[in-house]
Amino acid sequence: MATASDRWRPTDVELVHQIRKGDPSAFHELVDRHAPSLFALAVSLSGHAADAEDIVQETFAGAFRGLGAFQGRATVKTWLTRILIRQAARHHRAAGKRKTTLASLTEESHSDARGPSPQSAADARMDVTAAIKTLGPEHQEVVLLREIQGLSYEEMAEILEIPRGTVESRLFRARRELQERLKGYLGS
Amino acid sequence: MTDCGHADRLSAYYDGEVPEPERAALEEHVRGCPLCAAEMACLQRLSRLIGSTGRMEMSSQALERLHQSLDLQPKIVLLHLAEVFAAVAASILIVSGVWLWRISTAHEAAGQIPVWESVAVAPQDPSGAAAQDQLARWIIQDLSRKNGHD
Repeated sequence: MATASDRWRPTDVELVHQIRKGDPSAFHELVDRHAPSLFALAVSLSGHAADAEDIVQETFAGAFRGLGAFQGRATVKTWLTRILIRQAARHHRAAGKRKTTLASLTEESHSDARGPSPQSAADARMDVTAAIKTLGPEHQEVVLLREIQGLSYEEMAEILEIPRGTVESRLFRARRELQERLKGYLGS
Repeated sequence: MTDCGHADRLSAYYDGEVPEPERAALEEHVRGCPLCAAEMACLQRLSRLIGSTGRMEMSSQALERLHQSLDLQPKIVLLHLAEVFAAVAASILIVSGVWLWRISTAHEAAGQIPVWESVAVAPQDPSGAAAQDQLARWIIQDLSRKNGHD
């Protein structure tokens, strides 16, 4: 039978307060809560699990350093996601050369996606990933935040520090591009 | 794809991000517009397709590595102490600033040179007894004022 203490689960903001008071276990609790979804987003943004691990690590390290600046105006999830997007962009710039090679590879995959595609799930996954990679970084971000993270326009606007209307127009254009590139799968 | 004039709002409508009463109007429109209905179906297929790429799960080993790497960060206790020290330092700065401001204000007031000092350092009038008497009177007046005697 669950006791009252078993049922009590601190909110994210309460965890932040506990961390500020010097409780290391609260920080690890915050990591356990948010690392999996941040990792999924980092994989989508970087394309590599190893890079994603680095990005998530840098995200939490940055969050730890910036705890004093967190004022609770955004949710902790939004705050962490904003840091992750910045870390991923920094990682992307640092690995520019490798990314150029990746981009050329994905261009090839992308051209495959236009034609009659093999219908296996694995090939579909590769084609969709490649099609997303061919989008500009700003369009990639909104598609992944919406379709993978399930964030609202308001949350995306806060994370990306852009107006809500810009989120809407970027997402509209990004989807248009994807519909065009993946029409073999969409039947349109 | 549709070009019936509602295309740019369908994406937001699909996401449930269009407020009333526009949402109800779009819903009504989509019911009667084959192009928009097809666009909505396409958006749904696209979401499913992206979702089918699979969400990459973080392995327990990766999570453990993350915890270990974060343990190498400066201790959280130090972070707390740093916050306390920062607050104390800020308080000291404020108090010092106010104190320095008051000192400088007092100096400015004290910086007004009494008349007798100006006269005392001025070149002597060679005929000077009357001038010396005047000087003595100013000194007495100035000292009396400072000591609260009138």
